[in-house]
Amino acid sequence: MSRSGASWFTILPAAAAAVTAAPVSATVYLTIQAAQQAMFPGASFTSHDLAFTPQQRSVIAKASGVGGFDKVQRVWDVRSGTSRIGWFIVDRVLGKHEMITYAVALTPDGAVKRVEILEYRETYGGEVRNPAWRQQFVGKRFGTPVQLGKDIRNISGATLSSRHVTDGIRRLLATYQLLLRNA
Amino acid sequence: MPSRCRPLLGTFVEVSADDERAIDAAFTAVETVHRLMSAHEPDSDVSRINRFAHVRPVKVHEWTRRVIERAFFWAKCSEGAFDVVRAGKAALLRGLLPRHADQPQPEAAAHWTWLEVQGGSVRLLKPACIDVGGIAKGFAVDRAVEVLREAGCESGLVNAGGDLRAFGRELLPVTIIHPLSRRQVIASHLKNEAMATSAGLPDDEGQLSFDHLGARNPRWVSISVVAPNACDADALTKAIWNAPRDAYALLAEVGARALALSRDGRVDALRETARVSA
Repeated sequence: MSRSGASWFTILPAAAAAVTAAPVSATVYLTIQAAQQAMFPGASFTSHDLAFTPQQRSVIAKASGVGGFDKVQRVWDVRSGTSRIGWFIVDRVLGKHEMITYAVALTPDGAVKRVEILEYRETYGGEVRNPAWRQQFVGKRFGTPVQLGKDIRNISGATLSSRHVTDGIRRLLATYQLLLRNA
Repeated sequence: MPSRCRPLLGTFVEVSADDERAIDAAFTAVETVHRLMSAHEPDSDVSRINRFAHVRPVKVHEWTRRVIERAFFWAKCSEGAFDVVRAGKAALLRGLLPRHADQPQPEAAAHWTWLEVQGGSVRLLKPACIDVGGIAKGFAVDRAVEVLREAGCESGLVNAGGDLRAFGRELLPVTIIHPLSRRQVIASHLKNEAMATSAGLPDDEGQLSFDHLGARNPRWVSISVVAPNACDADALTKAIWNAPRDAYALLAEVGARALALSRDGRVDALRETARVSA
């Protein structure tokens, strides 16, 4: 077995790695404006931010099984001319090693149309995976299962971040149900 | 080069290329693989195989057939070290996959030779359950790369949670991290190649678990395979865990190479030519 010495890879010394691991790295995929245009091309967007009352927060947390979210939810009412063609929501979730900002496009009746990660900020770097492929968001609505299922043993710290997005989407669907459905 | 990222295949899938429409089309290809091969959706090809293929042949999409044929190829080469039928049974037992109402319990002896592909249909000789999660993610990456190339993109990258493939003239630097410390331990680069990594998962006590790889007390904590395509890299990175002695022969099937990180921090570089020249 050949060990090291090969030219196609380099073993990183611990000291050098400690230096490169320290800064937080962020990947920006889309700005909010670019995501809006990608998800609803040519539409107009009216800001419709939601400042939750404590009672609303508790209802949403109870309905979605997910607590812990920002005080103000950034929401846009999306229109083509005068008719509503959907909702555009920006949300963020915190993982063990990262913070993820993402956008969700909803149809006017509250089904997930598309999910895009806007920014992924990680403290260490590395892969993110969940062996079981639980998330399939498109078409989901409030009340349909958007969850990882029962707790899975051996979830890696990294896996948690994709689960946090799943939880976040479930919380947004509950938010739609309570505050946007009849707006 | 623009990059987009969406949650798919149970991870974050990142697509980079110089054409935003092509990126959209690449995501559509990944979504199609997800839809066909997720064992969670009851009407996916994989779920229909798990529900009915022990009774009658189940007609599947061409992509599903290709994934299963490739899985069969790697099962044969590795003498079952890579086995989507045993993986399915294990995933079901561990509660990682649901058992649909009309889906039978897999028999105890279920393994890859029970799987048959006839034309566009798949059969199971006896009640069993397949899980193609160990190969289909790589296949999805390959389909996305194909879409980008057909759209005329000259270079690009598709990364599905560490199963990644680059194409074009540029070298793509990649870093392999330690699964426990998350420290960057190996730097390498890819050129028109794919890399897939599988590693131990940290449990609540901060120990690495290898149950998901079906490996007991392995000598390595992480294995990364570089291969011409992501589907083969993905399958190989699983097969090597359970066939460490045959690793060279397996890699040589498709001209692949591997970097394995041992428990004591050593890096083993595995490739067929290394053994020949030694």
